[in-house]
Amino acid sequence: MSTWLTIGAVSLATFALRAAFIVFADPHRFPHAFRQALKFVPPAVLAAIVALGLVVADGRMDFSAHNLRLLAGLVAIVGTLFLRSTLAAIAIGMAVLWALQWLAPHAG
Amino acid sequence: MMPAIVGLIPFGFVAGVVSIASGLTPGQGLALSFFSFSGIAQLVTCQLVAAHAPLPVVVAGAGVVSLRFLMYSAALAPHLAHLDRGWRALLAFLMTDQSFASTVKRYSEPGDARYRHWHFLGSATILYVFWQAAVIVGVVAGAQVPANWSLDFAVVLTFIALLVPAVRTRADLAAAVVAAAVALATAGLPYRLALVVASIAGIAVGLAIERLHARRK
Repeated sequence: MSTWLTIGAVSLATFALRAAFIVFADPHRFPHAFRQALKFVPPAVLAAIVALGLVVADGRMDFSAHNLRLLAGLVAIVGTLFLRSTLAAIAIGMAVLWALQWLAPHAG
Repeated sequence: MMPAIVGLIPFGFVAGVVSIASGLTPGQGLALSFFSFSGIAQLVTCQLVAAHAPLPVVVAGAGVVSLRFLMYSAALAPHLAHLDRGWRALLAFLMTDQSFASTVKRYSEPGDARYRHWHFLGSATILYVFWQAAVIVGVVAGAQVPANWSLDFAVVLTFIALLVPAVRTRADLAAAVVAAAVALATAGLPYRLALVVASIAGIAVGLAIERLHARRK
């Protein structure tokens, strides 16, 4: 039940953000500082998600070479810098992770 | 449009698989996708539901990653002001990063712009159909994919693919580095509040650096 409520609330929130100016408010009343701040949403939010996803495993931080996800993720970041495609990032990262898991089956 | 569709398919598939892996039922995974229609919001919601975060935290997390929609909404609103409320609500519901980019480009071209909302509707509908198809395949496959394939790692990789092109200026880079550092420093906070705290810190630093830079000129 609470999962359905969550799905409803998230759907309402994403619609409210999309519709804010198209349906409801006048965009000319949009403060300049807020517009400037929104520019930094993608780099900040995505970097936080990526950092947590690569470093934290089972609730603990792991910066060691045993953290195969961190190694594969760093290779994927470098690969994406050159290839700039979603498909390339997924392909490179998964290939490196699977290769490392095959080479070191006991690491994380 | 074609590259946008090709990029969406693996992302949608992963979003479908992850919704099942996070403990949502197939119906819940599909409802989340049909009604929120945002890959990033869907993935963050799934992660937070799997972490048993309470409803306000899930909505805050999904809301923070969706703040960019506010910016898109403000940019498109003047072009759509002549349409009735139903049209505007429909177009707002269907708006994504890809259809926003394609629509802004169309409105910047010379010529009669009165009927260009049809272009918006067309591109957004195509993306909606392909996205949901990919999510359905992911939801169906989700139960069959063995855990030792580590397919959840594809989510992080998708975010890497979005992050790299989003860092264009030094201020962007500072926002990203600070957000990552704060996320790790606050990783122990309950309910993955680290995401919200780190995002706000990163945005604040990016803004401060841009202001400093502007004042020096």
